[in-house]
Amino acid sequence: MAYEKVLTRNVGRPEARTVAGYEKAGGYAGLAAAVKMQPEEVIEEVKKSGLRGRGGAGFPAGMKWGFIPKDHDGPKYLVCNADESEPGTFKDRLLMEHEPQQLIEGCAICCYAVGAATCYVYIRGEYTAANAIMEEAIRDAYSAGILGDSVMGSGFKLDMYMHVGAGAYICGEETGMLESLEGKRGQPRVKPPFPAIVGAFGAPTVINNVETLANVPHIVERGADWFKSIGTDERNTGPKLYAISGHVERPGTYEYPIGVPFRTLLDGCGGMWRGRELKAFIPGGASAAILPGEEHLDLAMDFDSIAKAGSMLGSAAVMVMDETTCMVRSVARLAKFFNHESCGQCTPCREGTNWMELLLTRIEKGEGREQDASLLSNICTHVAGNSLCALGDAAVGPVKSLVETYSDEIERHVREGGCPFPPIRVFGNGNGRPADAVHPAAGEAAG
Amino acid sequence: MPTVTIDGRTLEVEAGTNLIDAAQRIGVQIPHYCYHPRLSVVGQCRMCLVELEGSPKLQAGCSTQVTKNGMVVRTDTPEVREAQKGMMEFFLINHPLDCPICDQAGECGLQDYAFKHGQAYSRFEYEDKRTYPGRERIPLGPNVLLNMNRCIQCTRCIRFTEEIAGTGELGFFNRGARTEIGIFPGKPLDNPLSTNVVDICPVGALTSTRFRFAERVWYLDKRPSVCTGCDVGCNVTLEHRRGRIRRYKPRFNPEVNDYWMCDYGRATFERYETLPRLAAPRLRRAGPEGNGGAPAPAGWGRALDAVAERLRAGGRIAVLGSGQLTTEEAFLFAELARAAGGAALPLVRTEGPERTIPNLHGGITGRERHPNRRGAELAGFGGDGGPSADDLVVGDAAAGLDVLVIADGDLGPGAHDDEAVARLRKAAFLVVFGWADTPLARAADVALPVATHAEKDGTFVNVERRLQRFEQAFPPPGQVRPAVEVLAELLAALDGRGWAGVGTARAFARLVEARPELAGLDFDELPPTGTPLPGFDEDREDMEKRAPASPVARDAEGQGV
Repeated sequence: MAYEKVLTRNVGRPEARTVAGYEKAGGYAGLAAAVKMQPEEVIEEVKKSGLRGRGGAGFPAGMKWGFIPKDHDGPKYLVCNADESEPGTFKDRLLMEHEPQQLIEGCAICCYAVGAATCYVYIRGEYTAANAIMEEAIRDAYSAGILGDSVMGSGFKLDMYMHVGAGAYICGEETGMLESLEGKRGQPRVKPPFPAIVGAFGAPTVINNVETLANVPHIVERGADWFKSIGTDERNTGPKLYAISGHVERPGTYEYPIGVPFRTLLDGCGGMWRGRELKAFIPGGASAAILPGEEHLDLAMDFDSIAKAGSMLGSAAVMVMDETTCMVRSVARLAKFFNHESCGQCTPCREGTNWMELLLTRIEKGEGREQDASLLSNICTHVAGNSLCALGDAAVGPVKSLVETYSDEIERHVREGGCPFPPIRVFGNGNGRPADAVHPAAGEAAG
Repeated sequence: MPTVTIDGRTLEVEAGTNLIDAAQRIGVQIPHYCYHPRLSVVGQCRMCLVELEGSPKLQAGCSTQVTKNGMVVRTDTPEVREAQKGMMEFFLINHPLDCPICDQAGECGLQDYAFKHGQAYSRFEYEDKRTYPGRERIPLGPNVLLNMNRCIQCTRCIRFTEEIAGTGELGFFNRGARTEIGIFPGKPLDNPLSTNVVDICPVGALTSTRFRFAERVWYLDKRPSVCTGCDVGCNVTLEHRRGRIRRYKPRFNPEVNDYWMCDYGRATFERYETLPRLAAPRLRRAGPEGNGGAPAPAGWGRALDAVAERLRAGGRIAVLGSGQLTTEEAFLFAELARAAGGAALPLVRTEGPERTIPNLHGGITGRERHPNRRGAELAGFGGDGGPSADDLVVGDAAAGLDVLVIADGDLGPGAHDDEAVARLRKAAFLVVFGWADTPLARAADVALPVATHAEKDGTFVNVERRLQRFEQAFPPPGQVRPAVEVLAELLAALDGRGWAGVGTARAFARLVEARPELAGLDFDELPPTGTPLPGFDEDREDMEKRAPASPVARDAEGQGV
């Protein structure tokens, strides 16, 4: 199948970071077309395209734009979510480092459509290179008349700012991001009101992921029908970036039409590392349920197919695990992440993520008890759906799949009084096990 | 107004009412920790989860508002109970569970809900509880101590300082399971309202330096009262053990102090501990040297006979009142002056530190140290004629008096100052009513031990001209009697039989007869939030103009922080 890359066509062409270079490759045709349309027409086109948010939740982008009140008297904002912190996810970084003008173009079209005169790109603090490239690209866009008092001569005024976060996962949650943007402690707000009504600085605000916005210029330029021709079905449309890591030969970010079978992803990155057996994979970042590998080789990697399989596309961070992987240890490591990143304001997430990490660590150390699996499952029940924001649910995802799909591994840990898998030092500060050998893949997975 | 159905019962509520408040109206309690009616809704504790028809997940009652007709809510389903059980377990796994040595025991939100919604065993057996070493006794300010081990991170205290006190001393530090409450470096929690954070803390994390470990709360008797610290008249719950007051806590009155009171007011009962008590009537017997004899304990009968005799003898008679008197006492003192042909002198105005108690009307600012100057004036003090209190204390006016009756032996600094006492003592016959054995009482020819405000009932009129009634919390000790009773006896002796047996309620009724502005009021039927008297509106308006707007009021005008 010959798939022409859409979002990553300028990867490896550093000249495309400038407005001139980007235009040479056909860039800014979407924005030029958009500013000649009525804002409602732009929204309608994006709605028609079926574009769903690429940040994790998969909410239809056009519908989100449509929630912004038309008659609002006062400022409106676009906040681009570039706080890419979901473990295993590194697709937005690629888009910002190699396709900064594409993102600026997408942001500008969105701002034009919803009537926002200000756009903030909230970028995670660790992305210093991406931030520098974006800053430079924004400066260039200002001098080229893309941003500023009259966007491409249309009279539409738009300012764009980079805002660097301080490295908290929770600031990728949209209201946590808004709090942080406003200079407050990064923690989610109670919803409703939703950001479309009361967002940044109390004003109506659209919040879209980098990849979502990067798709927008192409929709406007080539039309919703073209966009819909890519993908699985009406609900899963367009190009998609997959960030593949773990026990594969060539980890990295790959662009495919959304809904490509998992098998194709795996083949595309050179297959399993050293020819090992596939055991399992996480299809959409640390909050997604772990899926057993072999039986899901033909799974279409789109929103609805993965949901039907009991997990989620999420941020499309695909983490592949081979037969030597201990699921208890893997999930303990994920639990440690969520415990570390819980903001601490709501009870089930603050206490539940903490307890889950303690329990899983104890099981991995061989000090588990028979009833621990059902206790874990019960903690999941008490956290899931009851927390203030989605972080609680996210933390439950992998733990629940461990208990449901890999309970036999928990039982072995309990029965044998220790971990039956070869010791691996995970991310340098694992779960208290002595590091007899450092697994060569660990470094790559972390990278 | 939209209707909402809660546990099968349908009621109408104003649009925007949250489910906790709506349920409360039909007596359904939705458990909660972080929600407080005067603080912003944060939906953090997740204890108030309820089932909302049409919603796939449980919803937080605090952040769910009744917006449209026909919402159906259930607070008692197995799913809700399971969630509540889960939250209780989460709260308790890292809680010390050392209730026997915790000052909050007995009035602890964790104890109450653990009993009602929790389980009797722990599944957190093999892990170590989270502790905050060195953070068990952190003074946040002069009045409040923090024990971080007990905190459940509800942030009520933080929101209080931000939204009510407007001072913002407290903050959330660190993240996740390591989240802590704390102050910013060099900025202690030291504002006039600081102890309110102890009241709203649902657990033993914040305790009052004044009260902690003074008494087990289940030994306390609690009575509704009114603070005597200033002329705001905060409604308080007076908590005592066998007549020893242990603390005041604010008692909800949306028209006066809302849910709050100031730190100064909380400390006012300590005067009852620090000054010696006047325990029995004392009488200076006329010896061969006239008034030169030493005062000696006497029975009430002889003491009152002596007073009545001197009042009947006539001459220049004056009664010096006080803003500490109840309105009823003040009325009887004024009547006594009238019956004896004397004068009820203008009252002392006691300037106090200005403190604003926030409420939804913009707050009330107290300006005087006495709670009832307006009531005493209404009752008959402060008319024309006679020397002023200043003339008596600073000048030599007492020398011209045949009888000087001082209604409050602790009426001001003068009662403790030798020179001032010496000037008052220049009256030919000095009668002092009082609860404390002050230098002034010791100088009197007759000293009459009367009840403290905790030992009597009565009314106060606050700075806004709101008449508030308070109850007797406990009876006076030993020979001490309520002043109303004593005055009625004196009046009966001087003025006739109509006064015999008059108590506070009848004294109030007589005052109502005498003052058209009180027409229609009945002591036993006074509303719990008090009664605005004529002139109230002007006073409140004036108050709102003068008072620094509270943060609550600023928010209402959209100019909040």
